[in-house]
Amino acid sequence: MSKISRRLFNTGLAAASVGTLAFPSISLGALPRVVVIGGGAGGATAARYIAKDSNGGVHVTLVEASKRYYTCFFSNIYLGGFRNYGSIGHNYYGLAVNQGVNVVHEWAVSVDPAARMVKLGSGNTIPYDKLVVSPGIDLKYDSINGYSAGVQDKMPHAWKSGTQVQLLRNQVMNMKQGGTFVMVPPPNPYRCPPGPYERVSMIAHQFKQSNPTGKIVILDPKPKFSKQGLFEAGWQKHYPGMIEWISSDTHGGLKNINASTMEFETDLDTFKADAACVVPAQKAGAIAMAAGVNDGDWCPIVPASMQSKADENIYVLGDASVAKSMPKSGFSANSQAKVAANHIRGALTGSKVFDARYSNTCWSLIAPDDDVKVGASYVAGAEAIDVESKFISQADDSSETRAANYQESIDWYNGITADMFS
Amino acid sequence: MKILLFVIFLLISVCKFAFSEEQQISDEQEIIAMGDIEYGEYLGSECAACHHQSGASEGIPSIHGMDAEVFVTLMLAYRSKLMENPVMQMIAGRLNNEQIGSLALYFSKLEPPK
Ligand SMILES: Cc1cc2nc3c(=O)[nH]c(=O)nc-3n(C[C@H](O)[C@H](O)[C@H](O)COP(=O)(O)OP(=O)(O)OC[C@H]3O[C@@H](n4cnc5c(N)ncnc54)[C@H](O)[C@@H]3O)c2cc1C
Ligand code: HEC
Repeated sequence: MSKISRRLFNTGLAAASVGTLAFPSISLGALPRVVVIGGGAGGATAARYIAKDSNGGVHVTLVEASKRYYTCFFSNIYLGGFRNYGSIGHNYYGLAVNQGVNVVHEWAVSVDPAARMVKLGSGNTIPYDKLVVSPGIDLKYDSINGYSAGVQDKMPHAWKSGTQVQLLRNQVMNMKQGGTFVMVPPPNPYRCPPGPYERVSMIAHQFKQSNPTGKIVILDPKPKFSKQGLFEAGWQKHYPGMIEWISSDTHGGLKNINASTMEFETDLDTFKADAACVVPAQKAGAIAMAAGVNDGDWCPIVPASMQSKADENIYVLGDASVAKSMPKSGFSANSQAKVAANHIRGALTGSKVFDARYSNTCWSLIAPDDDVKVGASYVAGAEAIDVESKFISQADDSSETRAANYQESIDWYNGITADMFS
Repeated sequence: MKILLFVIFLLISVCKFAFSEEQQISDEQEIIAMGDIEYGEYLGSECAACHHQSGASEGIPSIHGMDAEVFVTLMLAYRSKLMENPVMQMIAGRLNNEQIGSLALYFSKLEPPK
């Protein structure tokens, strides 16, 4: 077993022989090995850049549970009826075929940092020199009384894309005429700060056409939210009287949800829903905890490299990391992945390591051709990733600017997905 | 925006003409001379989140294979806020001349959109 071909490695046969032969490191020659766990915005980008830029000088394995990645970004655009669901799905062929990444569709179940080994659901292990962990989020179902994985199909969170999003779209479409939709956004920190409010905008857009007397009540666990002024002005303009945002200061906190009666109990009142979206609190994906790189719910990182503060051979990207002041977004994860990829190649092949630079831009569609954006550039401070400069859409933007923003967001979607998967 | 771009292009062509008469090196050429292509490749990864190879007619244009001097002129115009887009003003606002020159070298060598 002098060499394992990438294709062979992917078959059960190879996996079995790898298991029994204990996968000696010499089997891949002297190539340094990177394992990436999670093929999303952070992980796919990191795998692609390390493989592409090292020109075969680093052996990259991507461990991703799903064969198709449905982006959370643009899932709200789908909810609003602007795209079909298939258009937000992507596969890993480009990474395997164009970049030579060894793509393994399995769950990573544990990490042994001392032996530098990742264990897969099948029981096989993969050794690494450097490990990238980008598993996204897990939901803390019990952060809301009465909510659980058991009732998530009745009140979808739809915060990890997949069938939950399609379910939510069906429930929006089938809500009774003039009924009430209740949205419960998550508490900070969470993936995609403007996401819940873009979601409300897109549901309102759908209601305007198919259920014009429908109402949306937002029971927010927070007293304020991202791009609030822009969203509220947009709601006033496009959906007057349809959306009611109730701040935590006003309702005093969500005490309980009764999934069978669809009732939401707060200090202020009990709200009855005909359909609902409930997004609980969040934490780093479980494999980050298994790797021991978390401190509480999230994983602290070194700002200049995205290396875990707990283990210099492990890099944590995207939502799972504490990338203060960057928001948890796909754009951020993609940006962080490039810094980590450059650093990892430097460590393994001696290639030049350049200064860390990060950026983020998030677009939100409020109504057709009314799109707002917020963005910032960041530098690595000693303790945290600090804002360098930032911008936000203006209340008095022209309608041409708002329409141009939407076009930009579509091009960004095409750009970032190519940057992850091509 | 389109008109402004056109004016800038006109200006570049006029300047190029004027300078070549006197055998001088333009600011753009000086900035390109500072560039390092490997650095440009790293810096350019930030751009790839938005600018992809095929580009688009509206929204975000492709910058692959763009003439290096035109590229520098445009980046300087965003940096000085002569051109309006807030995203590009932010992106260009933190690039120094050496970095812009590096990016110009890198992008001008890439295959232009088909
Ligand atoms: C409604 C909504 C709208 C959004 N809109 C935007 C937007 O417009 N712009 C933007 O920039 N961001 C947006 N986001 C945020 C964006 O989706 C996330 O921030 C981004 O996906 C984070 O990337 P990541 O790599 O951390 O995790 P993910 O992209 O979630 O990737 C994690 C991957 O890891 C895999 N995985 C996890 N654990 C394991 C394991 N143990 N073994 C194997 N595989 C594993 C998962 O299957 C998954 O594919 C939005 C999010 C939501 C919910
Ligand atoms: C967040 C998305 C985004 C990122 C990241 C980004 N750009 Fe842009 N870029 C745009 C948009 C949008 C435009 C069109 C702006 C306009 O209308 O003036 C543009 C325009 C340009 C243009 C002018 C092209 C032309 O033909 O008019 C250049 C040059 C350019 N960008 C270079 C870069 C470089 C170099 C980087 C990386 C350092 C970068 N951009 C990163 C969004 C982005």
